[in-house]
Amino acid sequence: MPDIIFQSTKHFWPEITLALTFIAAMIFEFATKKRTTGTGILVLLGLAAALVQLPSAPSEPVSIFGGMYAIDPFSTFFKYVIIVTGMVVVLFSFQSQELKKESGHTGEYYCFIAAVTFGMVLMTGSSNLVMIYLSIELVSITSYILAGFSKSLRRSSEAALKYVIFGALSSGIMLYGMSLIFGLTGTLDLSGIRTALASGHAVTTGWSFAALMAAIVLMLAGFGYKVSVVPFHFWTPDVYEGAPITITAFLAVASKAAVFAVMIRFFYVAFFDNMLASTGVYSSFRNVDWSMILAVLSVLTMTLGNFVAIWQDNLKRMLAYSSIAHAGYMLMGVVVMSNFGLSAIMLYFVMYFFMNLGAFYVVMVIADKIGSENIDDYRGFGKRAPIISVGLSIFLISLTGLPPTAGFVGKLFLFSSVMASQFIWLAIVGVLNSVVSLYYYARVLKNMYLREAPDGDESPIVFSKVTSAVVILFIIPNILLCFFYQPVLTFAQRSIAILLPGL
Amino acid sequence: MTFETILFYVLALAGIVSALLVITRRNPMHAALFLIVNFVALAGIYLTLHAQFVAITQVLVYAGAIMVLVLFVIMLLNLQNEQDLFEKRSWRSYSGPILSLLLLALLLRTVAFVSGGSFDRISPESERIGTVANIGQQLFTAFVFPFEMASLLLLAAMVGAVILAKKRFP
Repeated sequence: MPDIIFQSTKHFWPEITLALTFIAAMIFEFATKKRTTGTGILVLLGLAAALVQLPSAPSEPVSIFGGMYAIDPFSTFFKYVIIVTGMVVVLFSFQSQELKKESGHTGEYYCFIAAVTFGMVLMTGSSNLVMIYLSIELVSITSYILAGFSKSLRRSSEAALKYVIFGALSSGIMLYGMSLIFGLTGTLDLSGIRTALASGHAVTTGWSFAALMAAIVLMLAGFGYKVSVVPFHFWTPDVYEGAPITITAFLAVASKAAVFAVMIRFFYVAFFDNMLASTGVYSSFRNVDWSMILAVLSVLTMTLGNFVAIWQDNLKRMLAYSSIAHAGYMLMGVVVMSNFGLSAIMLYFVMYFFMNLGAFYVVMVIADKIGSENIDDYRGFGKRAPIISVGLSIFLISLTGLPPTAGFVGKLFLFSSVMASQFIWLAIVGVLNSVVSLYYYARVLKNMYLREAPDGDESPIVFSKVTSAVVILFIIPNILLCFFYQPVLTFAQRSIAILLPGL
Repeated sequence: MTFETILFYVLALAGIVSALLVITRRNPMHAALFLIVNFVALAGIYLTLHAQFVAITQVLVYAGAIMVLVLFVIMLLNLQNEQDLFEKRSWRSYSGPILSLLLLALLLRTVAFVSGGSFDRISPESERIGTVANIGQQLFTAFVFPFEMASLLLLAAMVGAVILAKKRFP
């Protein structure tokens, strides 16, 4: 056993670096008596150190720690997205005025960003139910704390409390699902579950089949809660509105990426035969038609997300509903579970990273200036702060999925993967939903460009050079990726190799 | 009668009596205290079944941590008139007995299935599985990785609890 551990650690260095960053940041914070920016820089360096070790990950899938953890191109892709998001969020946090008010303990804030990044990275590779549960809990508990970080704000504490209560419920539900699976198959290992289900010994009677279906639904509820799939989405708007905006951005991008990674791995490894059917869709064992369950969830999610977003006045809350809708779009890729669908999800996450973080950044700097996230207070911004307004417009157009932005390419590939798998009606629902989403994104644009400021104030609002530079830095990939998406697509297509038993 | 059998009957009697008292006491505080007696009696039965680890967790987690929580909730709710809770008869008051009977049936069925119809012997596997030695060995070989990750999780949770609970930072 010690040999296995020593051999495994050589593939595990990015994760070890992240865990050490978390501990080192805490000791540093304690030793230097609240040099908070120093802690932030330390965490940033730690994340960067983990990032540079990712390219040396083996190109063939490897199973380490006795089947507990998988290192494969699929998880490495998501690790890039998560760690880069973590770094961007740390950089945003340096600038956030909201966090400066909590100056007493912002050092711990950075420590927890390291911890939550570590948890998410751990999620992408977990290949055992125990590890899946532990990593999800690590992310959940640190997210609860981060969501309630602005202790002086009532809404932040409210957000944290709601998050904890819903989170505890969903973990319980998921654990129950796991226990059913363990009872049926006698193993916690995903590849072991696959073997047990394939051999047909685990599911013999109608009753055990019903138990398996119940287990799948319970697991889906657990994952669905974390990516805010309807009907497990109730916490999302309140938490996204109440949490510090940097954390909202982090939850919206990195947390979703991590859960999608672990959800895809769970279903793909445990339930899918890797014999490709003629349609290019993986067939599942015993013809469990769970893709239909997922398709319905996906339609519900995007429709509810988009329609409720129409009535939101707070931009942060609107972005929360828009992120629910985006979870619905990305779920379409899981529904088809084809190589095309998986690479489309991965491509979409890269696009989503740029458009969503850009939008949240603009909301953050504007809220720091005018102290409001209300869409009505954005009136006349087009004249008063041109660069910021152009930036926000491009990010919102990208979120809608109109050319010439990155979001268009992301949606194009996602919808065509759905079409390629004969789910035409699902693709049509997706397109119709994008049309609906245009309505509420355009409302922000209308307020910024077509309406005057309430008191006729046209004095320019001055943003620092750094702010403008960051906005421009986010505009460039949002435009460029519409035309030069090929490298990202190639990378995504090369990264769909998921560890399977016998590979 | 061996010593073990006598011990079992004593513990079983204590368990049943305390369980009956839990559901018949009108005062929720008394009911909660009898629940602790029930947990301890169950832990004793686990010990006679060679499941030391389960017995210790039963006392530490259930009789310790969870019961503290239950007592806290009872005190926080500050029920003015506990008697009133039992006055109202609704469908809910019937769902309890029905669910309990279903659970009993399920447990009997499972035990009968596992032990092959007889209730008077312990299978040799279960005598080995529940020991502290076996669990320790599993924990530090096959499950050493989750074990280490759990320690990081607990560290993060602990620091987070301090941050959230601390009133003011200097």
